[in-house]
Amino acid sequence: MKQEHIKHLYWRAGFGIHPEQLMEASNKSRVEVVDNLFRTSESINPLKIDLSDFKNLDVMALKSKPKLLKELAVKSRKQILDLNTAWIDKMVSSEDVLRERMTLFWSNHFVCGDKSVVHMQQYNNTIRTHALGNFGDFVKAISIEAAMIKYLNLKQNKKAEPNENFARELMELFTLGTGNYSEKDIKESARAFTGYFNRFDGSFRLRKFQHDYGQKTFFGEIGNFDGDDIIDIILKKRQCAEFICEKVYRYFVNETIDKLHVELMTDLFYKDYNVEILMRFVFTQDWFYEDKNIGAKIKSPVDFLVGLSRTVPVNYKNKKALIKLQKLLGQTLLNPPNVAGWKGHKAWIDANTIMVRLKLPSILLNGGIIALDDEKDRLRRQYFNKNKEKLPMRTSPDWDKFQKDFKSVASEDLSSILINGEINKGTMSLIASMDKDSKQKFCIQLMSLPEYQMC
Amino acid sequence: MERRDFLKNSALASSLFFVPNFVRAFEGFDAKSIGYKRLVIIQLSGGNDGLNTIIPYNNDLYYNARPTLAIKKDVIKLNDDLALHPSLKPLQSLYDNGELSIINNVGYPNPVRSHFRSMDIWQSGSSSDEYLQSGWIGRFLDKHGKQPYNAIEFDETLSLALKGKHFNGIATNDYQTLYKTARDPYFQKVLNHYNDQHLSEHNLGYLYKNMIDAKSSAKYIYEKTKVKLSQEEYPQNTFATQLKNTARFINSGLKTKVFYNALDGFDTHANQQNPQKRLLSVYAEALSAFIKDLKRNGTFEDTLILTFSEFGRRVKQNAANGTDHGSANNVFVIGKNLKTAGIYNNLSSLSDLDDNGDLKFTIDFRQVYATIIENWLGTSTEGIISLPQEKLNVI
Repeated sequence: MKQEHIKHLYWRAGFGIHPEQLMEASNKSRVEVVDNLFRTSESINPLKIDLSDFKNLDVMALKSKPKLLKELAVKSRKQILDLNTAWIDKMVSSEDVLRERMTLFWSNHFVCGDKSVVHMQQYNNTIRTHALGNFGDFVKAISIEAAMIKYLNLKQNKKAEPNENFARELMELFTLGTGNYSEKDIKESARAFTGYFNRFDGSFRLRKFQHDYGQKTFFGEIGNFDGDDIIDIILKKRQCAEFICEKVYRYFVNETIDKLHVELMTDLFYKDYNVEILMRFVFTQDWFYEDKNIGAKIKSPVDFLVGLSRTVPVNYKNKKALIKLQKLLGQTLLNPPNVAGWKGHKAWIDANTIMVRLKLPSILLNGGIIALDDEKDRLRRQYFNKNKEKLPMRTSPDWDKFQKDFKSVASEDLSSILINGEINKGTMSLIASMDKDSKQKFCIQLMSLPEYQMC
Repeated sequence: MERRDFLKNSALASSLFFVPNFVRAFEGFDAKSIGYKRLVIIQLSGGNDGLNTIIPYNNDLYYNARPTLAIKKDVIKLNDDLALHPSLKPLQSLYDNGELSIINNVGYPNPVRSHFRSMDIWQSGSSSDEYLQSGWIGRFLDKHGKQPYNAIEFDETLSLALKGKHFNGIATNDYQTLYKTARDPYFQKVLNHYNDQHLSEHNLGYLYKNMIDAKSSAKYIYEKTKVKLSQEEYPQNTFATQLKNTARFINSGLKTKVFYNALDGFDTHANQQNPQKRLLSVYAEALSAFIKDLKRNGTFEDTLILTFSEFGRRVKQNAANGTDHGSANNVFVIGKNLKTAGIYNNLSSLSDLDDNGDLKFTIDFRQVYATIIENWLGTSTEGIISLPQEKLNVI
């Protein structure tokens, strides 16, 4: 397989590639490389942080202890941040990159946020579990998740007074897309999801007295449907498969839809809604590797941060810095802007975020210095050294690891590993003019190019 | 000469001789072609419950529809029908001075009750069955903007409203850092070398274009802004800081036509009372400090403030002590010389609701936009608002 193609695959299906992996894969066929990607993601390794404070609590007794409840709420809010950074760390260090990539993708599809760290961790792992599985099972699992039950007001959805929030987003954002259902379909399906409730520990409970067991008319079908029935009826619509395939195409291939390719994907996906089969299909197609798709995608803030750390491991002196960075770049995991999630693509970039992105590698890896023209540039060096303390965050980059990983890579080849897609001639001449004596300095300059923001 | 040095020199040479055209395109603009009238937009995100904001306190239907949610105590009566939410106390003096106009039942045909879609409709100025990729302020910039800072949003990312077909406003909540960052000489070198002029045609070009915008705008904003202006005391919260910076920019005389601010959290499906009370008071207190600040610096006369939300909420409260997504809602226009101050029009009937149990709209939000564009920003709506709109007698 061509190196350029392996890199493309690993950026879209994972978070970039190590030189060693690249060498190894270049002797294999496309099918073998893709196979390997799926094989390493077969097992499911949940994201777990220490939540012992929330274990073995007597829920009934808690109700009469408002002070303790408040303390737990504060603790939970703090630990959501721990969960956030643990998730980032997992993406940086895990071997099962495809499963992690899919988890990130789906978490911006089944968008959810909640104050309970216990429920958010469970939610995140439900996504991870189903990330390459059956889509129908996935939607059903999401509909009974504690965090979702709260986020889209299923908890308030009662027989006497249905709350439409979940029913609407289920169709608009999770399965069919806007305009493919009527207001009546929403009202009827909301009734099927009445009585959904969660226990303190995160498990699901149907409140039978709040559930509407009556007859519903949904998409022309009549029956005493419950929530799972509604999901099954939605899945019968080809539009559902198409909606998901379009989203997959936009995220993994190109934001501009190729109708023919999406049609092929939909044919396949509609058969059994198997996500693994769909993704395997996408990653093995010739059109996936077309030049116009390579390096054409703008990295999300998380792609950028995780990718950078996979090249040069960054230790944050204070983990909160990692949260601040996500906020600055416009994507704080576990805290989406709304149920539609992040728009992505060009929406990541404006005058403010582009400057943060361009400056960030030098701040994280080199005390804020991108490049000094030559050794005589003493004043600026002095300035940077003096202001080191004022940098927005303290980090210790692991350059030894970088040097070890890139030992076999010649300096001149560094740009072809770090930059995706074709490079403009003018920029080529700039890269050619850069000092390559120090791989480390060269790396920082490459990471400070707009081209580094593409994958 | 070594190969590396040769390349280094030739690259330097090329950067001197071939400064890309797109860099030049952004220099030497004429800022004077834009006047000094300014528009400040405040977006209440999430769908503010208009009925509990401007309260029909003499209407039994209101109390019947909201047995636990109706505001009964301490409402601030404006006339025989309508009253302000107690948290909006700071707005009362504006109302009394004729500096506030409350426009009721603003919406659009076939209302959409999804936040994102309805917000897109409001921000883009589209119909409910029309999908526009640009915002109404963005299209105004397409026609009259010269620099991204002609419209500034105080946020980390830019809203659709400020995105034009060819031209974007700028989003920043820390203009000082933006300036310091953009000044790195490495970036100038990068710009000098890049020689693809199809900037808006692909994603990488889009990154370069934003980089150029950032450099020029950051410099302008930073150098123009007078930090030491005496300012009002503002409350300590993000929204108040946004308005504080807005005032700072206005009072420094920045050539910025539109300032965009948002306050989020109005999606009150459950236990609405306290969150809405808190949010409305954050809104009103910051706004009050802002207006005092402008008045003290003599810039209030040239500033118009528009407050909107993507939709109102259902008339009937839900079982969770909250309200679900509705449709028509009230809009506030604040300024010095309003043609019609006070209550602009009557609230729609609470008995004649639409099929979802929501208020019927009587004024299209694009009428509000058209009125602002023609009577305040002083230009025609052509190319900005697609359908002709009957103007309101407000400004």
